[in-house]
Amino acid sequence: MHDEPLLNVSNLTVNLLTAKSAVRPVDGVSYSVRQGECLAIVGESGSGKTVMNFAPLGLMPTGVTTILSGSVKLEGRELIGLPEAEIQKLRGKSVGFIFQDPMSALNPVRRIGRQIAEMAELHLTMTPRAAEARALELVKLVGISDPAARLRQYPHELSGGLRQRIVIAIALAGEPKLLIADEPTTALDVTVQAQILRLLKDVQRRLNMGMVLITHDMGVVAGAADNIVVMYAARAAECGPVDKVLVNPRHPYTKGLINAIPRKEDPIGSEFRGLPGVPPTLGAPIRGCAFAPRCELAVATCSRNRPPMVPTGDGNVSVACPVVNQGKAAA
Amino acid sequence: MIHFISKRLKHSLVLLFLASLVCFTLVVSAPGNVAVLIAELRGAVATPGYVEQVAEEIGLNKPLLMRYVDWLGDAVRGDFGISYRTGQDVSADLANRMLVTGILIAGSAAIATLISLALGFLGAFWPYKLPDRASRGLALLGASTPTFFVGALMIYAFSVTFQLLPSFGFAGPQSWILPWLTVAVLPAAVLSRVVRVGLEEAMASPFVLTAKSKGLGRTTILFREALPNITPLFINALGTQVGLMTATAIIVEPLFAWQGVGDYFLAGVRFRDFMVVQACLLIFLTFFIVVNLIVDLAVLLTDPRIRRQWS
Ligand SMILES: Nc1ncnc2c1ncn2[C@@H]1O[C@H](COP(=O)(O)OP(=O)(O)OP(=O)(O)O)[C@@H](O)[C@H]1O
Ligand code: SF4
Ligand SMILES: [Mg+2]
Repeated sequence: MHDEPLLNVSNLTVNLLTAKSAVRPVDGVSYSVRQGECLAIVGESGSGKTVMNFAPLGLMPTGVTTILSGSVKLEGRELIGLPEAEIQKLRGKSVGFIFQDPMSALNPVRRIGRQIAEMAELHLTMTPRAAEARALELVKLVGISDPAARLRQYPHELSGGLRQRIVIAIALAGEPKLLIADEPTTALDVTVQAQILRLLKDVQRRLNMGMVLITHDMGVVAGAADNIVVMYAARAAECGPVDKVLVNPRHPYTKGLINAIPRKEDPIGSEFRGLPGVPPTLGAPIRGCAFAPRCELAVATCSRNRPPMVPTGDGNVSVACPVVNQGKAAA
Repeated sequence: MIHFISKRLKHSLVLLFLASLVCFTLVVSAPGNVAVLIAELRGAVATPGYVEQVAEEIGLNKPLLMRYVDWLGDAVRGDFGISYRTGQDVSADLANRMLVTGILIAGSAAIATLISLALGFLGAFWPYKLPDRASRGLALLGASTPTFFVGALMIYAFSVTFQLLPSFGFAGPQSWILPWLTVAVLPAAVLSRVVRVGLEEAMASPFVLTAKSKGLGRTTILFREALPNITPLFINALGTQVGLMTATAIIVEPLFAWQGVGDYFLAGVRFRDFMVVQACLLIFLTFFIVVNLIVDLAVLLTDPRIRRQWS
């Protein structure tokens, strides 16, 4: 039990069916998060980061049929195949969520106090009064000044940074073991981004939670995460400890990402740049390596066989690129 | 808040003044010589001399502006003059009739609200499933059936066939049910769509994803998250429908032999009883303006974003 990861995803594939299209935004991805650990997931827009984390917990928009395969274990419990009613009990209680846009994540016509307190009522079975007290504690915990007054306010009365702190307070209210933060700072002012990130990191450490941090920002990865998964077109390209992957990227895509970081100081807020070409559209599953059309090292076999994720032998780093892996083996 | 209310009140007063001008102008510019009509109604032969005497008596020979000021001054004090046709005090007639129409509109508004919320929620709860399609079908039917036909159908079904309810008259709650239902059908149909579409839109908002991520169930989300979001929208639409019920009352009151303002207005038009027409129009327009005022205040109370702008 002790070495069992908090979240263990293996070979997860997600197919989405809508009235108009069928896509596979997640294709055989594996990773795990332990208690107290932070895993960063990076990748271009549309590479499947959000779907990968939200679909197994039943958080897809209506109108989409979600078909999951593989395995997602939360505290040893298999989520795939679990009825929605059971998954609902886990949301908020075992897993807290933080969203990209705090401007739209809160209900505009409900008081902030209620939006936090209902979590404590639901998951900690508190009376409304006790839950209000708990909400006050949480608002203090996320570093908001004049907390009692804030609880009576409505979302539009607060700035984006404050609202994101409220969203974090909501996510923490059920005392979850795992936080899933989907680009929690992307929508905020640059000056606020660092504060929010520091807060997230701080509460994650203090409450000893596991955290999945979806981000576009390599600076954030370096500052906050223990491990990283690099996604490319629905698949994992490379994964491993941050200090290894960022220092010594192996997969051509990871290399491209890291080269694209502006060299000057303050990488916070920067986006991926400098990678030639565009990612493939997700339609029919791609046969070979999805990165082949943009890859400098591509060889003929690349577009024929799908490259498997292979451990490199260097401290838990795995890379899905036979060219790189063989090069290493030969050297 | 106070600022908003005082501003809105001033606004309403200006509207009321304009409404009075409209009423007066409409009636003054209506074709036909009132004096001749009155003379005939009194059973006299409309000789030019007698007509002139009548005109002098009811003030038709005064300048228009004077007539307007006289009429408005009286109306503000609640005096709408004397009916040309019956010689009765219009204000006294109106007082009784306003109660009747008030009961008609209040009951219908309540029924329309209940039915539309029920249908709208059914649809939003099972979107595109049978309950949704059924409520959509009902709404289409209700919105496209003329009110007098609905009334006739109600009478045929409930009083002729099953003999459950009286088919006409204004005698206690039992006799109110059919007119209420008749007036409520169209607004209920329109409002059910407002609820259904509003809820669907609200349920697609990002904050619903947040609510879901908190572990709230679908029913809770519909009532706790989506409903407060559509309340201002619903109140607005309800206000419009309640305003339009005055027009429906003109059709429905005669159908059920209710002596309300609508019936009074219709009789006034038929007999060119301009004092009555004028008074009824003014009452209707005032009702419209007051309903709008109440709607604005209610929206202010239910939407903190708007409240903020005015605080
Ligand atoms: N509701 C949906 N209906 C249909 N397809 C969807 C839906 N949501 C996502 N997808 C598909 O899944 C793909 C991956 O989407 P996802 O939101 O996971 O990307 P992402 O990596 O989170 O991108 P971003 O960085 O822009 O948030 C999209 O390109 C899209 O094709
Ligand atoms: S498998 Fe081939 S195309 Fe894919 S990253 Fe490696 S070298 Fe490039
Ligand atoms: Mg995303």
